[in-house]
Amino acid sequence: MTLNYIRSNRQAIFEEWVQRLKEQSDETVSNVILDQNFSTTSTELINLAILKISGSTEEYTTRLEDFSDKIVRLGWPLRFVVNTLDVFGDLVYEGMEKDGLVDSKNQVKVMHDINHWMKAMISEIINDYTSTWERTISNQKMALQELSAPLIPVFDGITVMPLVGTIDTDRAKQIMENLLQGAVKHRSEVVLIDITGVPVVDTMVAHHIIQAAGAVRLIGATCMIVGIRSEIAQTIVSLGIDLSRVITKNTLKSGVEAALEITNCKIVPLEVKK
Amino acid sequence: MRIPILKLHDCLLISIQWELDDQTALQFQEDLLQKIHDTSANGVVIDLTSIDFIDSFIAKVLGDVIEMSKLMGAKVVITGIQPAVAITLIELGIGLNNVLTALDLEKGLEKLQQELGE
Repeated sequence: MTLNYIRSNRQAIFEEWVQRLKEQSDETVSNVILDQNFSTTSTELINLAILKISGSTEEYTTRLEDFSDKIVRLGWPLRFVVNTLDVFGDLVYEGMEKDGLVDSKNQVKVMHDINHWMKAMISEIINDYTSTWERTISNQKMALQELSAPLIPVFDGITVMPLVGTIDTDRAKQIMENLLQGAVKHRSEVVLIDITGVPVVDTMVAHHIIQAAGAVRLIGATCMIVGIRSEIAQTIVSLGIDLSRVITKNTLKSGVEAALEITNCKIVPLEVKK
Repeated sequence: MRIPILKLHDCLLISIQWELDDQTALQFQEDLLQKIHDTSANGVVIDLTSIDFIDSFIAKVLGDVIEMSKLMGAKVVITGIQPAVAITLIELGIGLNNVLTALDLEKGLEKLQQELGE
């Protein structure tokens, strides 16, 4: 009965629905409504609801997944999607009441049915929505990890690891692994850690760097920390961190020069032919 | 099983090929010191390339051996520490701070010659 009602009054419900959403909307939501995709997407939502109520599960599942992906891409707030569904349920009930399809006998049943569908649909949408989020987040995390600790061989026996951004424990672990494996692989004599791009050096970051330097020394290479800015030097000293075991330089340039000296190499200008 | 100690000119070469247990480690300590005494070697190279796990006791024994060898007038270089081992040692707080290290046996011998030449 409910299904028939929705089918026959689809257009009316849709218009009323958009109207109502506009009335109770705040700024973010009205931006969504103004979006040109809104009408197609919301029609899709209603179609989905009809599919759900009519009970064709398979088609519904695939369509719902597509739909969730789409709204996540469009950036619809989850709050808004849930709200629209609520409004839709209300509208159907009110419309049926107006048309005299609801009487005191079946009132509870109709209400129950609508609630049942809506609840199921909302929970499924939330599920899909969050799993899409989680996927996005884990992808980003992976991308971040790939970017987090590159090791670049610059000369024979000299490698540089430039660090950009804050360092947490996970990242420090990865830095250490990449650093050591890379140093062994490239047979480095000197490894330079460039911390120009590290905004804050607190005790924890310093601890990680000292550990990395110690480990590099154990595998038989020399570790040098370069790119120490004035404010970092100040924090290191005022925090009482002892970096005396590690060679430190202020720029990558002077670091490379020192590294060349350690490896008994030198960069000389070519003789200019006259 | 005892760890073989090879003599090369005035250096001793030790390549540890399998995981040490406590007993072998202590035996190794004795053997090495005895050998240094017998050959009056000036330098010792301990190669750990094939070791990918080390515990705190073995690390301590290694540190002790190095200290003892120094007392007997032999310089020690440790070579070929694997990344995983380095991480474990650092996490255990064993920095082996006064020990010479090198990437592999070749570099280790070079380093030793340098140190002895000075």
